[in-house]
Amino acid sequence: MLIADEFFLIAHNDSRGKAKLHPAATGLGLAGGLLGELILYGHVTVSNGHVSVVDRRPPADALAHTVLDQLIGESQHRAIGTWLSFLAQSATTSVGERLARSGVLRRQESRRLLRTSVSYLPIDLNAVAWPATRLRALLDRPDPPSVPDALLLGLVVAAGLTREVLWSAGPRAHHRLNVLIPALPAPLKELVGHTEAAVGAAVLRGVP
Amino acid sequence: MPTTSTVDRPSNVSESLARGRLGVPSVIFFVLSAAAPLTVVAGVVTTGYGVIGVTGIPLAFLVVAAVLALFSVGYVAMSRRVENAGAFYAYISRGLGRPAGVGAAWVALIAYNALQVGLYGTIGVAAEPVLDRIFGGHPHWAIVALVAWALVALLGLLRVDINGLVLAALLVAEIVVILIFDLGQIGNPAGGEVSFASFSPDNLFVPGVGAVLVLAILGFVGFESAVVFSEESKDPKRTVPLATYLSVAIIAALYALSSWTMAVAVGPDQIVAAAGEQSVGLIFNLAAEHLGDTAVTIGQALFLTSVLAAMISFHNTTARYTFALGRERVLPAVFGQTSARSGAPRAASLAQSVFGLLVILLYAVNGWDPVVKLFFWGGTTGGFGVLLLIATTSVAVIAYFVRSGAGETLWRRAVAPGLATVALFVIIWLAVSNFANLLGVAPDSTLRWALPAVYPVAAALGVAWALVLRNSRPDTYARIGLGAASAVAAVRPAEQPPAPAATEVPR
Repeated sequence: MLIADEFFLIAHNDSRGKAKLHPAATGLGLAGGLLGELILYGHVTVSNGHVSVVDRRPPADALAHTVLDQLIGESQHRAIGTWLSFLAQSATTSVGERLARSGVLRRQESRRLLRTSVSYLPIDLNAVAWPATRLRALLDRPDPPSVPDALLLGLVVAAGLTREVLWSAGPRAHHRLNVLIPALPAPLKELVGHTEAAVGAAVLRGVP
Repeated sequence: MPTTSTVDRPSNVSESLARGRLGVPSVIFFVLSAAAPLTVVAGVVTTGYGVIGVTGIPLAFLVVAAVLALFSVGYVAMSRRVENAGAFYAYISRGLGRPAGVGAAWVALIAYNALQVGLYGTIGVAAEPVLDRIFGGHPHWAIVALVAWALVALLGLLRVDINGLVLAALLVAEIVVILIFDLGQIGNPAGGEVSFASFSPDNLFVPGVGAVLVLAILGFVGFESAVVFSEESKDPKRTVPLATYLSVAIIAALYALSSWTMAVAVGPDQIVAAAGEQSVGLIFNLAAEHLGDTAVTIGQALFLTSVLAAMISFHNTTARYTFALGRERVLPAVFGQTSARSGAPRAASLAQSVFGLLVILLYAVNGWDPVVKLFFWGGTTGGFGVLLLIATTSVAVIAYFVRSGAGETLWRRAVAPGLATVALFVIIWLAVSNFANLLGVAPDSTLRWALPAVYPVAAALGVAWALVLRNSRPDTYARIGLGAASAVAAVRPAEQPPAPAATEVPR
């Protein structure tokens, strides 16, 4: 499963699709996931706070393709913070739709007080709970997780979702989590750092 | 090298990020709602007249406004180049080094906490008339304070920042009520003639002038927060400076006018005695005389909401300061964590609430006077701390621009901050020598030295802590002053090669 998809499921690990994480952090965490997918597949890289496209061939995934096209089309914007804020605005919808397309979630519109809100309901509860369970199990194992899993854990920490994943884990799991992010490859480490900074800035601004 | 410009091309990214950006009025509303004008006019000014006994308060507001406007010139210029721009200690660590920054952060924590818990001292008095009207009686001030405390603690944890529209409506109502009260006061001058004696320097530059100037600074606390919106404003180069100057001007005009008309209505020679006797009730008693009962009821209700709004706003400011320090790991990392669902800085908010509870209980158990000894002392001690922060920031601005002032005019990087620094240090010197007047205690009271001495002690401890960090945890030391952005500093190696040109895609 793709990074942003798993992040979405961890942030909405609930039978009625309710969010476990506040909207600003959810959007930024998903944006970090979408950029992370492109980095992992070798399409873009991050250094010194800038995103650069290194491979313009279309990725297999439609959403990754869209994001890459945006990065190529607006090359005057390179700051990673700008791209995180931009992608965060639409990430919850776009990743939710991707999960709906792949049959994991079901889109539901509900009208309350003249306002239409969209939520994504799980089709199979086990499938939705799986990513969080999987990460928890990973941290209980002594061998280091794969790079994509380490990135996902990094984004979980950056967005402030640690408790959702580690609610029952022991001090050893916490310790493993703490040494994980510094060990990430440089572009991914920078991506996680910028995501954490953007989430913190949203908290400091005080605007939900 | 292609010469075609890509900047003017319409950009989805720029446009979608620009949507919802703030203009000057929104930023001013935010700043003023944190300033809680009715709390200052009904609470601070009246108690100030009574405790300090100097009649030059209206002029003091104008003097302080001029100094702060001068200070803001360099401050807003530097704010565009500083991470964590809402916090004075961020400027100080950039301008004067990280040890000074941590010292300033400690001072700021104490000052903002003092301002916040001070408000618990006045909520009982503010609620008294409202509760009397509804229930025909009122409980002990501490019970009201505890209810308010529970509300603030809960809202802080749930991060229900009061809806901006509600705050704006309350703010407008407060200002309207203040202006109507002012009209009533000036329309009924004592002895039948309007006296301008309050604006005479003779009535300000008397023993106690330092105390009055600190009181005036207290009224302006919050003006510094416009810079938080640098990134969210429509045009940071214009919106933020304009909003800062206009906020200072509006606050100055409103407070100078109100404190002056108050003196006019009571009589400049009577105001000190009347304020000492009636305290927070003064402007409502005047309004009852001139305007009738309805105006008083509305005014008292708004005073209550104003104090509550100020409490919540200072609670959030304090919690965010603590949160930023937790993110930097200068305080334990737990303070940098948020509640997942609400995004509230949970541990930071809880810590502030626990401190508030302890102070309320301390005052209630000892039976100390809440208005003078909690509200006024907390407010003025906090205000003095903010004065120290502003003055140090002013020095930091000069030091910063000496090193990297390219692109700023001489006025912005040296002249204005220089003048402001001199004026601010004169105010500090006056305040320290008048601290007994400020508190309204005897000149040989231990409090007279103990309260202001808290700050240098805290600053020294902060500097020492920073030096410990420099040796024992250099990665934490590198993050000092960056606030939320410190997460980026942590991943950026110190000796980083410039971005290789090869990763650039040729177009």
